[in-house]
Amino acid sequence: MVEVAMLAVGLLVLLLTLGVPLPWCFGGAIMVMYFVGDVIMKGNILWGVQQLGNPVLLAIPLFVLAGTIMSESGIAASLLRFVNAFVGHVRGGLGVVAAVSCAVIGAISGSGLTGIAAIGPLLIPEMEKRGYPRAYATALIANSSILGLLIPPSVTMIVYGWVTDTSILACFLSTLLPGLIIMTNFSVVNLWLARKFPLVLDDKPSLSELSSEVTKRGIHAFPAILMPVIILGGIYGGIMTPTEAAAVAVIYSVPVGFLIYKGLRWDNFLAAGKEASTAVGAIMLMILFSMILSQIFVMESIPQKLVSAIFEVTQNRTLLLIMIIVMLLLVGMVVNDVTAIILIAPLLLPLMTAIEVSPIQFAAIMGVTTAMGGVTPPYASILYLGARIGNVPVTSVIRPAMFLILTGYMPVVILTAFWPDLSLWLPRLFGYL
Amino acid sequence: MERIVQILLTGLICTVALGQFVQVITRYVFQTPVMGLEETMLYPMFWLYMLGAVNASRENSHIRANVLEIFLETERARIVLACLGEVLSLIIGLWLLTWVWDFMRYSWRVWRESPTLYIPVFYADVALLVAMVLMLAWSALHLMRHLRALAGGQAHG
Amino acid sequence: RDLKLSHVRPQDATIDVEVRAFAGAVAAATGDRVKIEVFPASALGDYTTVQERISVGAIDMAVQPAGTAADRRMQISSFPFLAENWEQARAVYGPGGAVREAMVELYAAQDITMLAAYPVYFGGIALNREAVTPGSTDPNGIKVRVPGIKSFQLTGEALGYIPAPIPFSEAFTAVQTGVVDGVIGSGAEGYYASFRDVTKTYIPANTHFEVWYMIISNESLSDMSEEDQATLRAQAEAFEATRWTVAEADQGVNEQKLAGLGATIVSLSDAELEAMAAKVRETVWPQILEDVGADWGQAILDAVAQ
Ligand code: NA
Ligand code: NA
Repeated sequence: MVEVAMLAVGLLVLLLTLGVPLPWCFGGAIMVMYFVGDVIMKGNILWGVQQLGNPVLLAIPLFVLAGTIMSESGIAASLLRFVNAFVGHVRGGLGVVAAVSCAVIGAISGSGLTGIAAIGPLLIPEMEKRGYPRAYATALIANSSILGLLIPPSVTMIVYGWVTDTSILACFLSTLLPGLIIMTNFSVVNLWLARKFPLVLDDKPSLSELSSEVTKRGIHAFPAILMPVIILGGIYGGIMTPTEAAAVAVIYSVPVGFLIYKGLRWDNFLAAGKEASTAVGAIMLMILFSMILSQIFVMESIPQKLVSAIFEVTQNRTLLLIMIIVMLLLVGMVVNDVTAIILIAPLLLPLMTAIEVSPIQFAAIMGVTTAMGGVTPPYASILYLGARIGNVPVTSVIRPAMFLILTGYMPVVILTAFWPDLSLWLPRLFGYL
Repeated sequence: MERIVQILLTGLICTVALGQFVQVITRYVFQTPVMGLEETMLYPMFWLYMLGAVNASRENSHIRANVLEIFLETERARIVLACLGEVLSLIIGLWLLTWVWDFMRYSWRVWRESPTLYIPVFYADVALLVAMVLMLAWSALHLMRHLRALAGGQAHG
Repeated sequence: RDLKLSHVRPQDATIDVEVRAFAGAVAAATGDRVKIEVFPASALGDYTTVQERISVGAIDMAVQPAGTAADRRMQISSFPFLAENWEQARAVYGPGGAVREAMVELYAAQDITMLAAYPVYFGGIALNREAVTPGSTDPNGIKVRVPGIKSFQLTGEALGYIPAPIPFSEAFTAVQTGVVDGVIGSGAEGYYASFRDVTKTYIPANTHFEVWYMIISNESLSDMSEEDQATLRAQAEAFEATRWTVAEADQGVNEQKLAGLGATIVSLSDAELEAMAAKVRETVWPQILEDVGADWGQAILDAVAQ
C-alpha cells in the first residue's frame, strides 16, 4: 500500500506541475488510491465536510481579511511611518524599516502576503528614490513579508495545530524567536549591503526633533499599535480564542479604517471582503480534498509504514533531520505553506515522535521551512506578488531574494532543527509545555 | 456581476466575524454567552467557503503551481497546457462530483440536525454540491475559451 | 476479515487496553478470521462523524458515546441525573435496561448494531480554580465550557454555572488561558485524559452517567459467517460484563489520579447531590423531554422509574 500511496503522491506532483488547481490535484491522488489501492470512498466526503466545519479554521479567512483591511485602510501605513521615525535617517535604515514593519504587521495579520501587499506599494518607490536598487527593495520586502507567518498569529500554525492536535497557542510561540532572528538577520545583511548603495540620506535629526517626530507619529499610529495588543493580549490573556481574536481584529479594523485612517471606502472594503473570501474558498476546497487523502492514508496506516520504511534506511537522528529539512525545502518550492502542512505534518509526526522531536518543535521546523516556500521558486507566491507590486521582472528579483534566503533564512532553518530550545523556550515559559 | 459577488462574499464573511465578536462580548463583558450562536455560524461559514471557491474558479485564481508554464516558450504551448489542465480538472472534478452527489443523497435521507437548535445540516451541506457544479461549469467555460483561442490562432495561420 | 475500530481516547488509555484485549479474544476465538484493527484518539474523526461513517459502512466498529446529529432522541443516553448510583446505572444502561433497549432500536434505525454498552463514569465538573459553594445550585459566576449538547448546557445552568459553548478543539487552551474557568460534560476519566494539566478542582456531582457503546455497521456484521457473528457477539457480551465489574473502581482510580496531580476532589453530601438532582429534574428534564418527544421519552423514564 505504501507503493500505491507513493504513486498517488507522484500523480499529485505531476498534476501540480501541469498547473491543475490544487483541489483537483488532491482529487487525482484520491482517484489513484480508489482505483489502484482499492480503498473505500464511501463516507469520505462526509468526513471531509465535517472537518471543514471546525470553527478553528474560521480563523483563517478572518485573519486574512484583517490583513487585507489593514493594507487598504492605512493602518499598515501608519505603523510603517512610526517604525520609520526611529531608524529612517540611519544609513541603510529604510531596509531595516522594511523588515521591522513586516514583523509588526505580522503581529496582526496571520498571512505571509500582508507585509508585501501593505507596505510594498509605499516602501518600494521610496527605497528606490533613496538609492536602493528596485529589485533588491522588492526582494527584501517580499522576504520580510513572510514574518507574517512566523510572528503570531499565523494561519500555518493554526492549520498545523489543527491537523496534529497540538496547542495552537504553543505553536504560535514556537516560531516567534526564529521569526525575530530572521528579522534581525535581514536588518544586519541590509545594513551591510547598504554600504555599497548610493543612498540619499536625510540630515541626522537632533534628539529633540527625533523625539517630537516619534511622539507625533506614535500618536497617529496609536489605534494601529493597539491592534496587536488586542489580538495577542486577548488570546494570551484569556479573553478570547484565536478564532474569536481574528473576528475581533476584523471588527476593530473596519471602523478604524473607515473613520480614523480613512483609507477604507465602500469600494475597497467590498473588494477586500471578496478578495479574502476568494482566497479562503480556494484554500478550503483544497483542505477538503487533502483531508480526505490524508484520512485515506491514516486508514491504511501509511504514516506508520512510512516510519518503518525510513527506519530501515537509517535511524540516525541528525541524518533524518537533514533529510526532512531538504524534503520540506523541496516541497516548499512547489506547493504553498498551508498545503505543505496538511500533507506533510500528519505523515511525518510519527517519525518525529520516534526520534524524539517534540510536536511543538516540529511546528517551528514546519513553520519556518514552509513559510520560506513562499519565496523559493518555482512556486513562490509571495515573491511573485512582490514582483507585481514592485513592477520588476521576476527574474531580476530572484537573485537578491536567493541571497537574502541564504543569509537570512537558512541559518535559522538549521538552528530551529538542531536547537530545540529556540522553539521550545517560549512555549515552556508560558506554561504550554 | 462583480458587485453582486463582492456584496455577497463580504456580507458572508462579515456575518461570521460579527457572530464570533458577539460571542466574545456576551461571554466576557455580559457574562451570558448566547447558546446556539456557534452552531448557526456553521451555515454562513460553509457558504462563504464554497462560494469563495466558486469565485476563485470564476476569476481563474485557484492556487496552482505553474511550474511548467515558466519553461514554455510560445503562447500556443501555454494554451495547450491550459487545455490539458482544464480537461484533467474536469475528469477529476466529475468523478468527485459523483461522490458529492452520493453524500447529498445521504444528507437528504438522514436529515441531520444541529445539536441545540435543530437546524437541518443539509442547508450547509448543499453548498458543496452547488459549488462543485458551478466550478466545473466554469472549468468547461475556460476550456471552451482556450479551444476557441487555439482554433482562432490556427485560422490566422 | 479486517475490521477497523475507532475510539476516542489516546493509545494506552484504559479503553484502548480493554479494546485491544477484546480484539485479541475475537481473533483467538475465530481462528484469526476476524481481525480488529484499533484506531485510537479519534484518528478516524470525532464520534459524531465516526457514527455516521459506520452507518454508511465506511468504518466497521467503534466504542464511543452516541452522536445525536442523525437522531435527536439519542440524547436519552446522556439524560442528566437519570441514575444516582452504580446499581441503578446497571439497571438502566446494562443488559435489559430501559435506556439500553431504546438505544438498540435507535442504532438499528441507522443500520448500526449495538454489541455492548461500555459504562465509563458518573460525570462531574472540573475547574481551573477553587470551587465556590460546590454543593449549592445558586449562581456562582463560574464560566464552564460545555459541549454542543443541549442537556449539558441546561444542566450547567441549573447547577449555577455560566455555560459557554466552545468547540472541543479549542477547549483545553480556553481553560488554560482562562477564557473559561472549567469544563462540564465529562467525568474524572475524561478530565484526566484531556484536561489533567488544567484541573485544580474536581466536583463529582454525578451530573450524568457516561456510557459508550460498542457498535458495528450492519453491513460489516452481515459480511461475516453466522458462526463468526455469534462469536463476536459473545465476546462483546463478555467485554461488557467485565467492564461492569471494574468501572466503579476505575472511576475511583481516575479521581485519585487527578488528586495525585494536585487537584482538590470536592466531596458532596448525599443531601447536596439530591438537591442538585431535584433541581435538574425540575428545570432540565421537561425541556429535553420536549425535544426528544414527550411521549416517547416519558415512556422510557417511566420504565426507568420502575
Ligand atoms: Na502573524
Ligand atoms: Na516556493
